[in-house]
Amino acid sequence: MNAPLPADALRRRCDPAQFRFTTTAELEGLEAALGQSRAQGAIEFGVGMRREGYNLFAMGPEGIGRRTLVRRHLEAQAKSLPLPSDWCYVFNFKVPHKPRALQLPAGQADAFRASMERLVEDLRASIPAAFETDEYRNRRQQIEAEFGERQEQALGDLGERARKQGIALIRTPTGFGFGPMKGDTVMEPEDFRKLPDKEKERLEALVAELQEELARVLHDLPRWRRETMNKMRELNREVTRAAVNSTLEEEKARYRALPEIQEYLAEVQEDIQENAEAFRASKEGEPVTLFGVPMGRAEAPEATFRRYGVNVLIEHGDASGAPIVFEDNPTHDALVGRIEHLSQMGALVTDFTLIKAGALHRANGGYLVLDCLKLLGQPFAWDALKRALRSREIRTQSLGQELSLISTVSLEPEPIPLEVKVVLVGQRLLYYLLHAYDPEFAALFKVAVDFEEDMPRGPENDLAYARLLAALVKKEALRPLDRAAVARVIEQSSREAADAGKLAVSMQALGDLLREADYWAAQEKRAAIAAADVQRAVDAQEARLGRVRERVLENVLRGTQLVDTAGERAGQVNGLAVAQLGGHAFGMPQRITARVRLGSGGVVDIERESELGGPIHSKGVLILSGYLAGRYALGRPLSLSASLVFEQNYGGIEGDSASSAELYALLSALARAPVKQSLAVTGSVNQHGDIQAIGGVNEKIEGFFDLCRARGLTGTQGVVIPRANVQHLMLREDVVAAAKEGRFAVHAVATVDEGVELLTGVPAAEVHARVEARLAEFADQARAFAAGAGARPWQKTKKK
Amino acid sequence: MAEDEEEVRIARIIACFAPGSAGAPQTVARMAREMQAELLGLFIEDVELLRFAGMPFAAEVGFPSAARRAMDVGLLERQMRAQARALEEALAAILGPAPEGWRFRVERATPSQAVSAALAEGYAPALLIPPRGDPRAARRVVRKPELSDELLRELLRAVRPVLVLPQ
Repeated sequence: MNAPLPADALRRRCDPAQFRFTTTAELEGLEAALGQSRAQGAIEFGVGMRREGYNLFAMGPEGIGRRTLVRRHLEAQAKSLPLPSDWCYVFNFKVPHKPRALQLPAGQADAFRASMERLVEDLRASIPAAFETDEYRNRRQQIEAEFGERQEQALGDLGERARKQGIALIRTPTGFGFGPMKGDTVMEPEDFRKLPDKEKERLEALVAELQEELARVLHDLPRWRRETMNKMRELNREVTRAAVNSTLEEEKARYRALPEIQEYLAEVQEDIQENAEAFRASKEGEPVTLFGVPMGRAEAPEATFRRYGVNVLIEHGDASGAPIVFEDNPTHDALVGRIEHLSQMGALVTDFTLIKAGALHRANGGYLVLDCLKLLGQPFAWDALKRALRSREIRTQSLGQELSLISTVSLEPEPIPLEVKVVLVGQRLLYYLLHAYDPEFAALFKVAVDFEEDMPRGPENDLAYARLLAALVKKEALRPLDRAAVARVIEQSSREAADAGKLAVSMQALGDLLREADYWAAQEKRAAIAAADVQRAVDAQEARLGRVRERVLENVLRGTQLVDTAGERAGQVNGLAVAQLGGHAFGMPQRITARVRLGSGGVVDIERESELGGPIHSKGVLILSGYLAGRYALGRPLSLSASLVFEQNYGGIEGDSASSAELYALLSALARAPVKQSLAVTGSVNQHGDIQAIGGVNEKIEGFFDLCRARGLTGTQGVVIPRANVQHLMLREDVVAAAKEGRFAVHAVATVDEGVELLTGVPAAEVHARVEARLAEFADQARAFAAGAGARPWQKTKKK
Repeated sequence: MAEDEEEVRIARIIACFAPGSAGAPQTVARMAREMQAELLGLFIEDVELLRFAGMPFAAEVGFPSAARRAMDVGLLERQMRAQARALEEALAAILGPAPEGWRFRVERATPSQAVSAALAEGYAPALLIPPRGDPRAARRVVRKPELSDELLRELLRAVRPVLVLPQ
């Protein structure tokens, strides 16, 4: 008969005596990520590899320390990289709706902006001053007088010619007219009427001729006016040029080494000359006019000056090394930047000064770290990131423009070249899904940084773990741990890893445990965290999350849910299930029953039929049919109809960890061999009858233990687990103590035969023989029915 | 004719207004208040223009459009009355109701006759603002004895205001 596992196999202890320190305060803290050599190597490679597409995807569960490790490596690498350039947007004088991007050496953008502001201020003073000189005033008056004289001359000549012919040139409210004269004044109408007809006709013809001539003279006036205005413009330009050149040459000299800036300043120079009127009128607030006509200024002066502004998008003045940007809210706009608008008279307007930088701008020349799930959750953010990485440039566009939802004229800022290393942090599932469904993903994220969830346990790693604890408590300003506490934390870490040979490396869970243990140590007024504090932290966590577990146990104890822990019954086995609720797992026993009868060879899974069983569970049950057919009915048809059910299960069941329990129930029913209800079973089974490992073994054992203890431990109670799971055992101290005292047993089995012997107390061979005989009996009955009735009576015949 | 303006206290501003010319009533009103001078708004219904408009073939050539339009005396007189009323109201809006410090008069005469008559009323020195003049432009200075009819006609056609000194 299979002997129970010894108590020391139920929990792998960490011996505090192996440590030479008294508390972790004596240890040098370990900053390196424990057990993450694969991830570390991948990060080093990915960060160092400056080629296209070698972006990183740091994958693993939450709390494993992905961001910390990534940050640490990026910070180390970023220090050695040069500061990237500053970037500004300026007005594009050639294509105003396409703002121009200017690149400046790191730290110079603000100075450039300030110098452009100063330039405008200087010009607002120097240009009006240039127009207030006597030289300008005299030359302007000269031009105006020239026009006036030309006009007067033309009208005067005409008036004089008319006068010589006895006709006066008269100014009317809206023009000029010609009237016959009498002496020095215009003739009275009455006098005119008295003139002979011939004379009247002559005078009228003369007036008509003069009107024609006047019309010709007036036709020339607009041309003269244009000529005068051109002269005036040229004069203005000349004066402006002198004022602008002296100011701008200084700026040009300052940026001699930057051809792009030189080019921009040349355009500024030209534009200021074209818009000098804005500078002239700005202080007085009155437009510059010529003959009362505004001199070609369509927009307000302040709007003109805005165009000479500099929108500093990115400035690295007080930084050192390459930037590392962690964008916590990776929306489309937060990544590629946005173009803001101002409301003016009910309309939304924008210009290049309203372009705002995104995370890609800030990280350009360095590193950008994003949470993959958050990124994918933001509309169009993933597409925007891929587009930027593929094109290697940042194109700032509103979503409305990108999706062609807005047809109004907006800005199309010049794209900025992008040189960035992106690190996505996410769960493994996301990596595999993106890899499978997004064809661009593999080309853009070539470096997978796969974080381990655990690491091997051994004396060397135990000490490294202790140093890690030393670093953590120092960083969090917690009390140091004494060596017994370290040992207890290591054991708990194994429990977290669900493996006696492993240590979990979840920094989040470890940090929580240390903080809570520190709290309890403080309550006890201890200078160092003791093992009792760690245990209390673990127990408190359990207690806080234990409501559902306690209610389930209570239901069983009160007989609401039927689970026996004593006695025997054929076709009934205690299975073990694990419930996972809110990150807390606990085991609970579950009655599994089997009924058999003559039938057509099928094992009916009631869970599946009632749609309460998941696909893996159904697979486990189908395997049972394979086992039965292969083990017992090689030479004859399997004339069995069996039904299997998880009694009082109303919430669904998934997984195949109960398949061995189901098989034991089935064999017990077929062999009419009662099963000991003091035992509970877990483990999956294959078609050959091998018992296979399952998950949650510790929780399952503890779940049945809690029930047995509540009813009173009899010494006959215990759990049957797969032998492959023995290495995973990290049971609670109370379970281990009960096992040590012989009040509770954990049996490990490798085959169905071992299990069936334990459960029934009947040798496996005999059980199999009984099953064989029962199945043969069913087969004979089936054959007899078939021969006698020509049909299978248990099958319904179709009525015609 | 003197060209240099001397520092003098102007007793009267004679602001001439002609048909069809908008003038600068607000500016002259403010100037009068600033200078504490009496203001005479003189709207001159040019008799030569009225005579011309009464001709059977009277037509004007628009300036600067060069468009030809027939003239109508009735229409011209209505326009002049409306313009005179608007000018008076514009001055009153700034200076208050006449005749407190200012007056407005409509004269049917030639411009030089109307202005000569106004100058003859005294109030020297006077600032004469021609119908199409710029009140704020640099002034010409003329002594009254030098002011012939021909010179006055020339000054009234120009843009610059004229300071008429008694001697």
